[in-house]
Amino acid sequence: MADEITAIFALSVLVGAVRIGVPLLLAAIGEMVVERSGILNLGIEGTLTFSAFGAFVAVEQTGSLVFGVVAGVLSGMLVSLVMAVLTVTFKVEQVVAGLALNLLGIGFAFYLLRAIFSESGTDVLSVETWDVVEIPLLSSIPWIGDIFFSQHWLAYVAFASLPLVWFGLNRTGFGLELRSVGDNPKAADLRGVSIAKVQYLALLFGGFMSGLAGSFLSIFSTGQFFPAIAGGRGWIALAIVIFGNWRPGRILIGSLFFGFLEAYQLTLQAQGSDLPLNLLLAMPYVLTIVALVVNRSRSNSPLHLGAPYLRGVR
Amino acid sequence: MTAVDTPPEAPDADADDENGDEKTGGRWRIERRLETSWYLEVGGVVLAMVAAILTSSILISAAGSDVLESFRALYRGGFGTRDAFVETLVQATPLIFTGLAAAFAFRAKIWNIGGEGQLYAGAMGAYWASRILGDSLPSIVLIPACFVLAMLMGAGWAGIAAVLRTRFGVNEIITTVMLNFIVLNVLSFLLNGVWQDPASFYAQTDRMSDAYQLPQLLSSGRLHLGFLIALATAALVWFVLARTSFGYEVRSIGANPRVAAYGGIVSNKIIIATLLISGAIAGLAGASELLGTQLRLQPGISSDFGFTGIIIALVARLRPAGVIVVAIAAGALRNGATTMQITTGVPAALVDVITGLALVFVLLAAVMVNYRIRRPQTDG
Repeated sequence: MADEITAIFALSVLVGAVRIGVPLLLAAIGEMVVERSGILNLGIEGTLTFSAFGAFVAVEQTGSLVFGVVAGVLSGMLVSLVMAVLTVTFKVEQVVAGLALNLLGIGFAFYLLRAIFSESGTDVLSVETWDVVEIPLLSSIPWIGDIFFSQHWLAYVAFASLPLVWFGLNRTGFGLELRSVGDNPKAADLRGVSIAKVQYLALLFGGFMSGLAGSFLSIFSTGQFFPAIAGGRGWIALAIVIFGNWRPGRILIGSLFFGFLEAYQLTLQAQGSDLPLNLLLAMPYVLTIVALVVNRSRSNSPLHLGAPYLRGVR
Repeated sequence: MTAVDTPPEAPDADADDENGDEKTGGRWRIERRLETSWYLEVGGVVLAMVAAILTSSILISAAGSDVLESFRALYRGGFGTRDAFVETLVQATPLIFTGLAAAFAFRAKIWNIGGEGQLYAGAMGAYWASRILGDSLPSIVLIPACFVLAMLMGAGWAGIAAVLRTRFGVNEIITTVMLNFIVLNVLSFLLNGVWQDPASFYAQTDRMSDAYQLPQLLSSGRLHLGFLIALATAALVWFVLARTSFGYEVRSIGANPRVAAYGGIVSNKIIIATLLISGAIAGLAGASELLGTQLRLQPGISSDFGFTGIIIALVARLRPAGVIVVAIAAGALRNGATTMQITTGVPAALVDVITGLALVFVLLAAVMVNYRIRRPQTDG
């Protein structure tokens, strides 16, 4: 009997870990590509919020979940396009531009939410959400089926995107250009690579992935939108990229691990456990700092991360 | 991981033709100006504010409200009456501290994004002091003790990032962000445990004794001594940056670390000192809020003061006097937003949009001021 309860508990935590990990994974993959091109985007939190809002409004207005995902992705790409204009074209400090976009993304979403829905009189609107897709056969495998093959379709997209992004970065000409821009923009420039084009494309991809992640938050898992919907996930995604040392495989592990900590904490909280839950919640951030220190000698961090490239200026 | 060193297969022409520029005329490029003038800089900020207000006007009218009336309500709520103005200064007080904290670090190009966490560390330090000292001593001893411990805690929290940067070469942007989340969770841990008011269901401490209350400056309203301390801190920061050799070193590292090193400036010492001072100032914000307005430590002691401080510092172009002006404007916006929402129905969230737009336009104006766009006559 006790064993059965333990098993149910463990299973629910693991299923929750993947569910919580999926938006983290999507946003972290996007951010990894952006950072590999040399841009440090601190605006993920604002991008997630704005795209969650875009997806939510689209579903509320049209009733189409497909259209919701499209709107979420476009909203995410819009925010990252602004980031690109500011940092790539106008060479604004990347840290500053990212923080400005957090403020703007969240502020705009909240303002528009109130402006659009003030007449309806209620703040707690909800829309329908995507259903979980059980993969035939695979989902009936004990444990594994529940954990990995009974998730939202976006989860499968997230998992499938990992090898694709790895291949794109490491086995294609464009991936090579992108990494060279992040590591040594001067050399890339001399070879005729258009720095601006590569960084715009990387940021748009990052916006695309954050857009999917934001859509996940509003029209896959909750069916609602509220200004704090991102709940710090943008910062966790940033942490996961570092924790994963800018490698797709480790980023998967990081997303699932951070998702696991959160799911474990939620389950313990629901049970009224006496364990120090807040210290558990601080773990991802502590581990990220530890990872930064431990990995520093074999860091895979792009060498020219965070600094704008100015031709002819050393 | 060898790929970076090998040249790309085809350095071809078609990858690069998006600008569509002809080979002969050279292309438009952005160059850094060698020197800027103060009127360009001030003019840029003014232009940015006008642009932010115009854009906000479009948003207001898009939402179907009267633009002029909305701005009038915003102004009335922030500056319109004596009471409103006093409350604006109350709101501005923590923002002056956090704005100064950010401005000081950013002057040295040290990206301390951890003002929020250092503020919490400071508030925890002030509360901790009150737990140690009780209420047997006079206020003249208790209050300074709280401020000192707050500064130490704020500095200590920033100091972690300083050590990680100077000893291990770990970038302070990421560590200060992570430290924000860590301190919040540590605070929640304490507030759900040893520091929790036993009489309360909520995660908050008991109310500190009246001996800790900062003196009120006016007979009505909540304005407290913290505001004057904030002004004095601004003056001190200005003096240190503009008139001391340490301030000169801070500014040289910000301007160009390599040149500063040639000049014999030891970067690591300056980096550590800068982060400690920045953290201490943010810690002051925590003590000022705790002893000035709340007297009860709870997770809501800061409403994004740390992050807003960063925005304020940047809009103020990292100048201490500018921080005071912009912080008061930001306090008025926060204060007036409620009036605007009640009287005209324009969502209070507009204030965040205005602030964000102001920052973006100030950044763009700074680019216009610091760089010029020109097209070289010939290419070689």
